[in-house]
Amino acid sequence: MAKGETREIIDSLHPLEIRLLFAFEAGKVIDDSLLISRASVEQAQKDMAIGWLLAKGIVEVTGETVERIVALTEIGERYRDQKTPELRIYETIRQTIRDNRDVNMSGIREREDLDPTEISSAIGALKDKGIVRIAQGGRIEIADESPVSEFEDIQTLITAVANRGEVNLSELSQGEQVIIEGLHRKRGKTKGVFRINEKVSRTYTLTDLGTQIHAEVLQRGKPADEISQLTPEMLKDASWEGKSFRRYNITLPPPRMTPGRKHPYKEFLDSVKDKLVAMGFEEMRGGLVENEFWNMDALYMPQFHPARDIHDVYYVKGPESAREIEEPFLANVSKAHYSGGDTGSRGWQYCFDVGKAKRLMLRSQGTAVSARTLANNPKIPGKYFSIARCFRYEQVDATHAQDFFQIEGIVLGEEINFRTLLGLLELFAREVAKAKEIEFLPAYFPFTEPSVELHVKHPKLGWMELGGAGIFRPEVTIPLGVHVPVIAWGLGLDRMAMVALDIHDIRDLFSANLDMIRTKRTHWL
Amino acid sequence: MPTISIKKKDLESLIGSSFSPQDIEQHLQLVKGEFKGYDLKSDELKIELSDSNRPDLWCCEGIARQIRGKLRGEWGDYPFFGSNNSNKKSGQIIISADMKGIRPYVGGFTATGVNVDDEMLIQMIQTQEKISEIFGSKRKRISIGIYNLSRISFPVHYKAAPPEEISFTPLGLEEKMTLREIIKDHPKGQVYGEILKGMERYPILVDSRGAVLSFPPIINSREVGEVQAGDSALFVEVTGLDIRLVLLVLNILAVNLHDRGAGIGAVEAVYPYDTGFGRAVSIPCAFTKSLNLSLRDVERVMGERLSMDAVSGLLEDYGYRVKKEGESLEVTPPPYRDDMMHPIDVCEDIAISRGYNSFKPIMPSQMTVGGLSDIELFADLIRGYMTGSGFQEIISNILTSKEEILYKMGLGEEKTVEVDNIMSISYSALRHWILPSLMRVEAASTESFYPHKTFETGEVAVSDEAGNLSSRTLMKCAALVSHPAANFSEAHAILEALMYYLQIEYRLMPGDHRSFIDGRMGWVYVGDEGVGLIGEMHPRVLTGWDIHMPCSAFEIELDKLLKIYKASTS
Repeated sequence: MAKGETREIIDSLHPLEIRLLFAFEAGKVIDDSLLISRASVEQAQKDMAIGWLLAKGIVEVTGETVERIVALTEIGERYRDQKTPELRIYETIRQTIRDNRDVNMSGIREREDLDPTEISSAIGALKDKGIVRIAQGGRIEIADESPVSEFEDIQTLITAVANRGEVNLSELSQGEQVIIEGLHRKRGKTKGVFRINEKVSRTYTLTDLGTQIHAEVLQRGKPADEISQLTPEMLKDASWEGKSFRRYNITLPPPRMTPGRKHPYKEFLDSVKDKLVAMGFEEMRGGLVENEFWNMDALYMPQFHPARDIHDVYYVKGPESAREIEEPFLANVSKAHYSGGDTGSRGWQYCFDVGKAKRLMLRSQGTAVSARTLANNPKIPGKYFSIARCFRYEQVDATHAQDFFQIEGIVLGEEINFRTLLGLLELFAREVAKAKEIEFLPAYFPFTEPSVELHVKHPKLGWMELGGAGIFRPEVTIPLGVHVPVIAWGLGLDRMAMVALDIHDIRDLFSANLDMIRTKRTHWL
Repeated sequence: MPTISIKKKDLESLIGSSFSPQDIEQHLQLVKGEFKGYDLKSDELKIELSDSNRPDLWCCEGIARQIRGKLRGEWGDYPFFGSNNSNKKSGQIIISADMKGIRPYVGGFTATGVNVDDEMLIQMIQTQEKISEIFGSKRKRISIGIYNLSRISFPVHYKAAPPEEISFTPLGLEEKMTLREIIKDHPKGQVYGEILKGMERYPILVDSRGAVLSFPPIINSREVGEVQAGDSALFVEVTGLDIRLVLLVLNILAVNLHDRGAGIGAVEAVYPYDTGFGRAVSIPCAFTKSLNLSLRDVERVMGERLSMDAVSGLLEDYGYRVKKEGESLEVTPPPYRDDMMHPIDVCEDIAISRGYNSFKPIMPSQMTVGGLSDIELFADLIRGYMTGSGFQEIISNILTSKEEILYKMGLGEEKTVEVDNIMSISYSALRHWILPSLMRVEAASTESFYPHKTFETGEVAVSDEAGNLSSRTLMKCAALVSHPAANFSEAHAILEALMYYLQIEYRLMPGDHRSFIDGRMGWVYVGDEGVGLIGEMHPRVLTGWDIHMPCSAFEIELDKLLKIYKASTS
């Protein structure tokens, strides 16, 4: 392999892999434990790095042996500290006899902090070896002291294993192995002094590629000379000079982080806001709670007529009514409803109910904001918009949210007529929906005449209604003191937003699911 | 507004030509109708009509009439709209004086030579229902009765009867019931009885022999008031609260039947009180007035020069009668339309008649300066700082519940803006602060990668007893951090940084607030004004929300801060 190619491999090596490579010798075999000690790495680090080296074809396995590793069980650890029960009991018996006192089973039970089965099995073992015998009346006597050495050997072995932590069974003497085989915890049993774990141990050697890489790695020098993390100290004392920086594998995935971010739907609304401002629209705002007067009466929606029932509304609980309705608007609007007033209309011809007009409700349409703007000395010519939260008394489901944004506005000016109305809608279609194909359809809104629906061809949704608009009826504008024609427009953009966000339930525009909010990507431009 | 189903074949036979569903969809523009679907098997077209002022279009006959007139110039000859009182009468309705305070107006006409078949019956019932339910506000303002004419002997009396005095067998039942029993026990009585609530006497229509026709607006009699396929002569009656609506609906029903080949006979309603149309009203009756408009007015609305001939032609194509006089037009809408309140209404019909897409759009060209409100700019500024500080923006519903904004936050009863006509308890109160919205996100996002840093700027409604609307809409901003080590100091650090950039000097006053841990909560003050709060969320509150992660948060009032901000930078 050419040098360039091996270099690429070497550059991608993890520091752990390099440490292991330094432990290898060309043409020689090395086993796991030697690898760990030479490279001075943890077992887990070795496992990980040798796996990578094998996968890359740098080293290969030359052999595999199963080792039996001995360690102490919990019981074994206790025996290390407190000696085996056999030794403890033997010493107790001897000491008691030296003190010229008799000893029996119950006496041992009282003195030794051992459980009864341990005591009886230990005495049983001492008896079997002929060390003690039970005389009449249960008195225990020492018969022969010489076999005690067997138990002392066990104790020595426990201490030896404890000191080394783990011992390879094959490294022990034949006698020791017999003892361990006899005392290790059998599968499925809880007792036992020793535990024997089987451990697969492999031996490795460098492959041809590995030999080449190994040589180059050795040539490059020990990784200890490479800088891993540049520190302020290194900068201060210039110790980084002359050293190389460990090369990173920059293709690895980075750790996860969550940036601060605008809400994707709000981002969409921001883009609409920006476009409207760019088109010369000034923002207007209103309250979440309105009275029926500004929400409906001022828009010439008759109080007792189906035109009022276009949608159902939420009413507000106590107090139910506004204290007052601003004059002269109340008088003008009620006259317009009754007889047309001075609007040139014959009016709806019914007696206006001021009590109903005062009824408080949750704003049901953004046009309420427009009505208040009309009554508040708007600029002429003037363009206004609002993105207003509205509420409708409807069953909440995948297509109806309990509250939602309406994007609405007005355009006031002498130049306003049916054709400039269409012109404005065409502008919206082009700027907001990027639509090339549009169609105007006759529509009905109680407060505009003529009224238009704007349909556009959306790249994903096909033909869709983008908005509704019209010229405010004189019965709306004149009572509010406006004597030029006024366009009222509204855009229905939630469907567009839902397509862009790939959601199918309108309630998800206000989702509480942080994962969903964090992961949604937007593409508004 | 109403969605109706009609048979395509029926529509085609009324128009006199056949169409593809696509053609129909196109022609529906003439009636502001939205094509909702066509089922080939049943031949059924579904159409939604949007104009609430044109109930004449809420039926197959009306849609056909408008399309036929435009396509073929055939507007039908309705000879029965003669001048009042001069026609031969088919009968009379005599109204008693006490009806004035109960349900004052009634009118009717007869239709003969009708071929009532099953489909026509379905259409008649549909029209009757849509008009009386939607246009008639659930029969309150309009109710319609249709009878087999052969069983009625004129004159018919419209009078008030005590609830116990008269009994008859209502439609749908076998036995005689008194009016009171009908209100109490008959399904229609239970639905529409509300209209007559509090009245001591109920309206009743009886014929000259004393046979009960109906108990308007509740139910017809079974004997007289049940129309069946095979009937050929009908009596149609409308009662209501407004004479114009009564006349309008009768005119619509008369032209509908006439379009299906019926001969219409006038019935005279004789009142002991004035109606606005005299005391004897012969129906059908061309009661609507003509309007005058100048060509200039039309041109100003349309935005282009038009000729008198063009305008009058378009109007005639749409069903108007037009008299030209120099540069002005006297236009008379057909008698089944009463939606012309202002000349502007006629202008829209001109545009519809010509087709909206035949008008060339012009861009409004007057210069205006766009801009955002100060509070929106201020909120955007804060949104910028918060996202820059690593916070994810949240946007939440405003209509929620006291459970979320008070009780789950560890708070007791407080005055908030509540809904009167509650549909669901989950949507019964407006939030008065934003932190509960962020807690809602936390509760729904325990599986989401930590740390959580969220904020929301948005509107809330706070109670304001003294205010005209008893509440005020405010803009607030809340921020919340949630992770294993979230604490007061972290929230404080964010607030501190925010206030630094806003150049607002603030201080924290230790306080008590049950949403937060005692001793780790503060009120945010600027001078003597409280502008917000900050603290570590109380574990009881967290547990109540089923949140298993420490949270700390603050909330500030942007309207107040904006005022301070403007004062400090001006």
